[in-house]
Amino acid sequence: MHPPAIRTEHLTKRYGSLLALDDLNLTVTAGEVFGFLGPNGAGKSTTIRLLLGLARPTAGQAQIFGTPAAAVATAHQRIAYVPADVTLWPQLTGAEILELLGSTGPGVDVAYRDELVARFALDLSKPGRAYSTGNRQKVALVAAFATRAPLLVLDEPTAGLDPLMEREFRRAVVEARDGGSTVFLSSHQLAEVEAVCDRVGILRAGRLVDVATMPELRRLHRTEVLVRFAGPVPELTDVAGVDGVQVDGAALRFTLTGPPGPALRALAAADVTTLTMREPTLEEIFLDYYGEEDR
Amino acid sequence: MSAFGAGDAGAARAAVTRLALRQVRRPALVVSAVAAGVTAVVVAGYESTAGTALDAAALATLAENPAVRTLFGEPFALDTPGGFTVWRTGTVLAVLLSVWGVLATTRVTRGEEESGRWDLLLAGRLAVPAVLGRHLTVLAAAVVIAGGAAGIVLVAAGTPPGGALRYAAGLVLVALFAVSTALLSAQVMPTRAGASGSALAVLGVGLLARMVGDGVAALGWLRWLSPYGLLALVRPYHDDRLLPLLVLAGAALLVGAAAMTLAGRRDVRAGLVAAPAGRPPRTWLLGTVDGFAVRRMVRPLAGWSAGIGAYFLLIGLLATSMTRFLADNPRFAELAAQAGFTELSSVRGYTASLFVLLAVPVGVFAASRLAEFVAAETDGRLTSLYAQPVRRNRLLTAETLATFAGVAVLVTVAATATWLGAALVNAPLPLTAALAGTWNVLPVVLLCLGAAILALGWLPRATAAVGVLPAVGGFLLHVLADSADLPGWVAASSPFTHLAAVPAESPGWSAAGVMIAIAIAAAALGRLGNRRRDLLG
Repeated sequence: MHPPAIRTEHLTKRYGSLLALDDLNLTVTAGEVFGFLGPNGAGKSTTIRLLLGLARPTAGQAQIFGTPAAAVATAHQRIAYVPADVTLWPQLTGAEILELLGSTGPGVDVAYRDELVARFALDLSKPGRAYSTGNRQKVALVAAFATRAPLLVLDEPTAGLDPLMEREFRRAVVEARDGGSTVFLSSHQLAEVEAVCDRVGILRAGRLVDVATMPELRRLHRTEVLVRFAGPVPELTDVAGVDGVQVDGAALRFTLTGPPGPALRALAAADVTTLTMREPTLEEIFLDYYGEEDR
Repeated sequence: MSAFGAGDAGAARAAVTRLALRQVRRPALVVSAVAAGVTAVVVAGYESTAGTALDAAALATLAENPAVRTLFGEPFALDTPGGFTVWRTGTVLAVLLSVWGVLATTRVTRGEEESGRWDLLLAGRLAVPAVLGRHLTVLAAAVVIAGGAAGIVLVAAGTPPGGALRYAAGLVLVALFAVSTALLSAQVMPTRAGASGSALAVLGVGLLARMVGDGVAALGWLRWLSPYGLLALVRPYHDDRLLPLLVLAGAALLVGAAAMTLAGRRDVRAGLVAAPAGRPPRTWLLGTVDGFAVRRMVRPLAGWSAGIGAYFLLIGLLATSMTRFLADNPRFAELAAQAGFTELSSVRGYTASLFVLLAVPVGVFAASRLAEFVAAETDGRLTSLYAQPVRRNRLLTAETLATFAGVAVLVTVAATATWLGAALVNAPLPLTAALAGTWNVLPVVLLCLGAAILALGWLPRATAAVGVLPAVGGFLLHVLADSADLPGWVAASSPFTHLAAVPAESPGWSAAGVMIAIAIAAAALGRLGNRRRDLLG
């Protein structure tokens, strides 16, 4: 039995009177891509700093492949990390930073690194101070993926990337998983999480409120549907996946969860003039999931 | 709409002024207190040290000696408490205020801009010149207070107000010139380090010009080109000249105006000098954390080496004229002995007393390296290295060893430069004696390093302040204890009290051993704290 990539037990962190992380019990098994969600200030970055041994827990413990997180000389042999806010040495060029991180790190697949540099369209001759936010992130991403480390800890790694680069990022995550790596991905981009993650943990105000697999999260995706009719409005009660039905004159408004077949069949007999479907925004899902009232 | 805009611009200016005040007020208070304190101690101690020992003939001899003039400035009015105090402390305070002025200016302007913290500020109502103008006003007020503090102390001590006023005005204007120069270089250079470096280089050249102008009669005009030379040319309590003050004020104004003009013509975060857009990789010393610590130190070390090397080359060049003068004028040797400088009449004694001073800049260098290490941790540059399979204290060890190597380079440079200068004027100073003299200050420097590591482990934001304490605090304490008859234990708490005058005397091994033991204990305690704390940033 292999030890899990990440295991935390009663992991707690206080900053003075602020309880940043409260009794986190989390297990990320080796080989999975784990999404870590939560609003700003929920404690995601604190959790990551504790996992990396950058901060010391007030109580509880964290283990990386069975090694205490504080024993960084051992634990970090198997970790590559991309921080949320990448700061580079201003006078070192991208190539020099990759050289420094490659030679002080656990090892690097140079061929893969060169391939990633090309795929991320990264100009390595620029000094650190000349890189934009997105390019700084790309340097950190290339350095991290090129290690082919068994555990990748990524803290909002795509916040500054353009859609093209985000696609490359997703490809790299999939490649890492296919190579047997575990990915711990903290993100606000639900579409990205949905595309690459097997399981998702949701943090709120320092507490882990739920851990769900991707299909469970998909159920949360409720599509808003607006249908206008020329004739009478059909009855949609007791149709699978349909909820929150509102009749507004000749228009019908409802939310749809899961496959749309049953709802479409129910509408087929009516004289539909327009049909509009709108995917909920990330915010709506967040609010929906957390529930405004118990925030 | 327009009323809304007008009202907010005033509020915005006030807000920026408050921001500048917050960043400057504490160090400004410290500098003012030092200016007032040093002046008070020297003027109060005048009667007991110089007042009785000097007569007109002795003064004339002193004034004529080029070495004395080069090192301490042209002496005049030494028979009055005010004139003596100006001679003893004028250059030191002018250097302190101007160097602080430069560092504070580049820190709150280019430093804030480089870090990106000004992006938000400059996206608001105020453009770069307006924001810089508010900072300039606050910095100017700070140096007026610091220079004014020295003047008020002199008036309170009963010296003629006219002289005190001229002197205080001179100090303030030198510092204002430094602030304007720093502001100008902060418009030209895109980085804080570049801006500080070029402004400090201007001050360094100015100081050298003052020294050469004072020492060599034919080059006396050089002093009109140097802020420190102009301050000396005011001759407070003697001639009370106004023209040098006007020249200084004009220079400060001109440079300041140039800075404000340039500020309106450049992009935010850019300087007039563009940073290079790209270059081939230079991978030397990037293979290990130790190598990387050395690589980051190389540039600052070159700057420190140049400054310290130039100063000690001058010390060596002056060795014969200085010692001959003191040998011929036993009264001054006596006076110097009272001030703690013994055996100045031999080359070894003279260099030994100046080698002791080396502990201050080298100690500050050591503390500054550790402070920079903390700065790199705070702004996230070190995060990627802390995420490597390298223990925290391993990184600290690398930084400590690199700093120690830098310290070794600096003291060796000082010894070599002194030896070279002395050899050029045929003064009897073997290289080994010079090396022994400069390496003798290592225990004090190690105390700085130990104190800085202690602070890094438990109170990382105080690393610079705690780190310089053994050198700067210890030196001030030593001078004060000598000049003001403080109780013995006060003097004993300064490491300088326990530093033997090498190469005139043999090294004090036991005192050195105690200091090194304290430094090691402090470092060990600091490393313990460093292992347990949360990283900043």
